Amino acid sequence: MLTIENLQVSVEGKPILKGLSLTVEAGRVHAIMGPNGSGKSTLAHVLAGREGYEVTGGNVRFGDEDLLALEPEERAHAGLFLAMQYPVEIPGVANMYFLRQAINAICKARGQDEIPAAEFMRKVREQARLLGIGEELLKRDLNAGFSGGEKKRNEILQMALLEPRLCILDETDSGLDIDALRTVADGVNRLRSPERAFLVITHYQRLLDYIVPDVVHIMADGRIQRTGGPELARELEERGYEGLLGTKLAA
Amino acid sequence: MLAVKRTRRLDPDPAFTAAFRELAPRLPGSANEPLARIREEGFARFLALGIPTQRDEAWKFTNVARIANRPMRPATATELPLDRVLPYLLGGPRARRLVFVDGRLQPQWSHTGGLPQGVIVESLARAAETRPLALAEALGELDDGRSFTALNTAFADGGAWIELPAGLALEAPLQLLFVTTGGEVPVMSHPRCVLRLGDGASLTLLETHVGLGEGAALTNAVLQLALRPGARLEHDRIQLPAAQGSLLAKIDGSLGAGARYRQTTVLLGGALVRNEHELRIDGPGVDCLLSGVAVPGTGEQSDIVVRIHHRAGGSHSDQYFKHVVEDRGHAAFAGKIVVHPGAQKTNAYQKNDNLLLSDDGEVDTKPELEIYADDVKCSHGATCGELDAGALFYLRSRGIARQAARAILVHAFAAEVIGRLADPTARALAETRLVARLGGGLDGALVETVLGEAA
Repeated sequence: MLTIENLQVSVEGKPILKGLSLTVEAGRVHAIMGPNGSGKSTLAHVLAGREGYEVTGGNVRFGDEDLLALEPEERAHAGLFLAMQYPVEIPGVANMYFLRQAINAICKARGQDEIPAAEFMRKVREQARLLGIGEELLKRDLNAGFSGGEKKRNEILQMALLEPRLCILDETDSGLDIDALRTVADGVNRLRSPERAFLVITHYQRLLDYIVPDVVHIMADGRIQRTGGPELARELEERGYEGLLGTKLAA
Repeated sequence: MLAVKRTRRLDPDPAFTAAFRELAPRLPGSANEPLARIREEGFARFLALGIPTQRDEAWKFTNVARIANRPMRPATATELPLDRVLPYLLGGPRARRLVFVDGRLQPQWSHTGGLPQGVIVESLARAAETRPLALAEALGELDDGRSFTALNTAFADGGAWIELPAGLALEAPLQLLFVTTGGEVPVMSHPRCVLRLGDGASLTLLETHVGLGEGAALTNAVLQLALRPGARLEHDRIQLPAAQGSLLAKIDGSLGAGARYRQTTVLLGGALVRNEHELRIDGPGVDCLLSGVAVPGTGEQSDIVVRIHHRAGGSHSDQYFKHVVEDRGHAAFAGKIVVHPGAQKTNAYQKNDNLLLSDDGEVDTKPELEIYADDVKCSHGATCGELDAGALFYLRSRGIARQAARAILVHAFAAEVIGRLADPTARALAETRLVARLGGGLDGALVETVLGEAA
């Protein structure tokens, strides 16, 4: 579904991704773990199309499309979703209004009819209930004044409603207490299906106790250093990045 | 003999004189000697003051001569079909209204019947017949040293005389709708309104300026407000001039003790629109809140001038103006708070926030405080920023196209002011027009619905 070949990315002239290759298949959950500064979030942002990153080499195919040639909204239309580490607060835009605009935009791009208001409300309320998101949060301005946990739940709510093919979770566990972590993980697990793939970017093993990955990649210095099964995450937890990769790479 | 130094003004185009000579015998109240004299004096004052240039401090940011100092003529009678005007009839089924097209009252669309005893709502032309002396006095008492006010005094054609007796709260909103059609030669109209609210009286005034048609037009409006102690005025202003239409609007008002004045202005369009306010707070307990938002694009300028005089202590005033500048648009704001000697315990605030959406736009902002009392709370602030790139990316990453995402964010910036409009129909009109203007395929009705649900 997603094929990244020798991806090289710089920020303000400084190389961050230095020849990263990765293949993600439908139906699978891939975890990317790595120390701070290894380029994890850069990868997530580049895949979603955020400005400010210069791709200096390599290519990324999403399905049969050249992902890097697409605008951010076209990537969303094609089925890519990034649950952000720091969801942006947007005062003046009601959460519910935003959700409706996003769903309609995606329906339209996929050649489907917009969903009727009543069905939309029913769907939103159902998903919100499962994620423990109160009615009040839906009516408030988008992420404005939300707690860290509320923001992350709201990301997963959007993910559930927009029905992407590839879900990228960027440090979704950061800032979550254990109960919120469980709720968010349950939300993700409900979305697992043979047609959908996940790329779970995380610093810690903890999230992977709840979202059990099929494949684990260790990333450092802008590249995937090692790939293995779920046991690799546990090994990492025991030995640390330095123990696993050697001091130099973890620095 | 010394020559009169007149470096800061331009001599008005002779066409004004020709128009005044031609028109004076036909203007409302021309047969009444005091009124005719006031008009003559107004015109003489206009000639003496001249057209301001940008060397004049009050017009520093605005080249008004380019739109005002050229041959213009009063409009000939224009017939408009109802459906052109219908979208602008605000206030719901109970509203009373006066509708003017190019300065002429349109009785077929106006409705002032069934008002409570003592309420006066009449067109300026009617007032010139029923109360010529009072009108002459009102026209004559406003000399603010501003040439366009003098020009309005000379030419005042449309407009209204509105009076509420003490203690009367008019529940139905009152709309003043000014439609301008424009012509090959620029067309001018000069609405003059006098509004007086008695002690504790209360009114919702919907003032709407609409430009229909391609031609150039200048609307030079003056409104004189007097709120007696305890009076309340909700003043919603929607300004939708055509591309070649310009609007110079001056509001001069005095607010008595305990009066409450809330004004919200939404401006979309127009070549040059200047909204000037000079308000005097004459007692304690006054609450004066002025808000406005405008979205000037290429070929458009919005200019806001506010002067609030706290002449008595213990009152509150708040100015909150926003500009969104697109393409080659130009926004200017000059706000001044004057706290006069002895006006202790004054609370006065002023804020001007600007969203600059292009490299070619221009924003000028000049907040000023002049304080002659020592126990006051006053603040002013101005900001100028661009759209938040993070927010824009966030929306786009959810599938919302760039143009729509941009429209959503600009709407969010402006919505706070639109939400202050007192009348729901005014709010809906402003909202619909703003959303249409911003493009991106957003559905105005949807915005309203969802915002309504969220409220």
